[in-house]
Amino acid sequence: MTSAIRTIITVLLCLQTQTVSADKMQLDINYLLTRFDAGGNDEFSSNKAIALRHNYFFKDWLATDLGLLATDQAYDETRQDVVGYYRAALQSQALMLGMKLRHRAESPYEAYGRLGLQYWRTELEVEEYFNESIPGGSTTVDDSGYGYYFAIGGAHYITDRLTIQLEYLHMMQLDLFEDSSSQPFDLGINALSVGLGYQF
Amino acid sequence: MYAEANLHDTVEDAQVAAAVFIDGKPVNLAGGDVFEASTGTESTLLLNKGYYEGSYSSTLPTTGLSDIFMEVVHAPIEAREDRWYPVDLVNIDPGPGELVGTSATISFPPDVIVISPTEPVTLFSINDTIELTWVPAGMGDRMRALVSVECSDGLSFSRYGVSSEINDDDGYEVLNLSDIIFDSSAGSPLLDFISGTALVLLQDLLNELSAGNIDPDFVFKKTEANPAESNCDIRIFVQRLREGVFDDAFDSGSVTGGRSTEIQVKYSPAVLFSN
Repeated sequence: MTSAIRTIITVLLCLQTQTVSADKMQLDINYLLTRFDAGGNDEFSSNKAIALRHNYFFKDWLATDLGLLATDQAYDETRQDVVGYYRAALQSQALMLGMKLRHRAESPYEAYGRLGLQYWRTELEVEEYFNESIPGGSTTVDDSGYGYYFAIGGAHYITDRLTIQLEYLHMMQLDLFEDSSSQPFDLGINALSVGLGYQF
Repeated sequence: MYAEANLHDTVEDAQVAAAVFIDGKPVNLAGGDVFEASTGTESTLLLNKGYYEGSYSSTLPTTGLSDIFMEVVHAPIEAREDRWYPVDLVNIDPGPGELVGTSATISFPPDVIVISPTEPVTLFSINDTIELTWVPAGMGDRMRALVSVECSDGLSFSRYGVSSEINDDDGYEVLNLSDIIFDSSAGSPLLDFISGTALVLLQDLLNELSAGNIDPDFVFKKTEANPAESNCDIRIFVQRLREGVFDDAFDSGSVTGGRSTEIQVKYSPAVLFSN
C-alpha cells in the first residue's frame, strides 16, 4: 500500500514538474476551519489551518494540484478516568499532490474538485494531571505517513486573474503510530475554507 | 479499603465493587493504580468509576464458589485502555502509589434459596409487610436486603435504593414496607438509603440484569413523586454476606462476599383509586 502511494506521488510530481512550461498556472492561499476526528471517543474543538496551493492547467478543465497545509494545535476535551485528568492535542502538516478538475461557466463562477494523495506529519501531545500529591505533565510524540484527500469548491472571478473561493476539504491520514504502538488510529480532518486565487 | 463482590443467582458473572477511604474521606486511586479482582483463571481491572468519589466496579467471570483475590496494582497502560490515542506510546507514569500491594481475599457464602414469596407480590398499603422465608445456612454469615425502588404517580418519578439488615440467617424475616416506601409529605424519610460500595454493587447488578438498559445513576436518590402515593416497582435483592480477609499489612475497612436472589413487589396504594 505504502509503496503504491509513493509511486503515485512520484508520477504526480513528474507530471507537475514536466508540464510547468505550458499554459496557465494558479496560486491559492486558503484559510481553513478544521475539525479533527481520530475515530474514537475524541471530541476535538474546531481549529484553524492555512494552505498554499499551486495548480498547473494542462487542459482548461484539468490541472495538477500541489499543496502545503499546516494546522494549528487542536485540543480534545479534558476528560477524567480512573487514572486522572487528561487532554490530548493534535497538530498536523501535509504535502498534498493530486489533480484538480474544474468547470467554468459563462458567468464569473467556476466549480471544481480536487483529489489526491498526501504525505503528512502529525504531532500528538498529551497532558495528564493526577492529584495534589502526584505531579502530572505533558509528553509529545510524532509520526509521518501517507493518506488521501478530496475537496469540492466554488470560485468567483473578481477580475480575470483573481478569484475568491469557498471549499470543503476532507483529508484522511492512515495508520498513525502503526510502527510504534499497538493502538494505531486513522485521523480524518474535515475543513471548510475560504481562499484567494491568482492565475498567471 | 472497602470491597464487595456479589454473585446473583441469575447472572453468570460476579459484580465487584471497591472503594478507598483515607481518614474517612473517599479518595481516587490515580496515576495508573487500580483494583484488580482475580480468581485462579480470570481477572479484571475495576475500571468503571462508581457513583461516588473513589469507587470502582467491574464484573468478573467466576466458576462456582472460587475465592476472589482483590489487590491494588499499578497498571499504567491497562488503566488507560479506554482512551482513544496510543496509550502504550504516550503516557506519564508516576510509578506505583502507596496503596499498591494492598490485598484481600473474598469468599462466597452459600446461595440464598427463598421459599416464599416466589412470585411477585402486590401490596396496597405502606403498613403492609412481606413475610420472607428462606433456607437457612447456619454458617455464621449475615443477611441483608438491597432494595431498588422505582415509583411513578403518572407525572413524575422517584428512584432510590435502600438497604435493610436482616437480623439472623434463621430462615424467617418480616420486611416492613414502611422501611422501603416513604411518605415525602410527612417530612424527611428515616429510611436507610443505600450508600457505599453496596450502592455501586446494586447499580451494577441492575445494569447487568437489564443488559445495560438502565440509567447509569438509577439508584441515586431522586424523589420527585411521593412514593407513598405512587405506583412502585420494588426489587428486593436478598443477600447472604461473608466477611473476607485482608492481607497482613492492611486491615482497615471491610471486604465482603455475597450471594443474592431477587424478590419482586408491586406497591399500588389505594389512594390512587379514590374519588
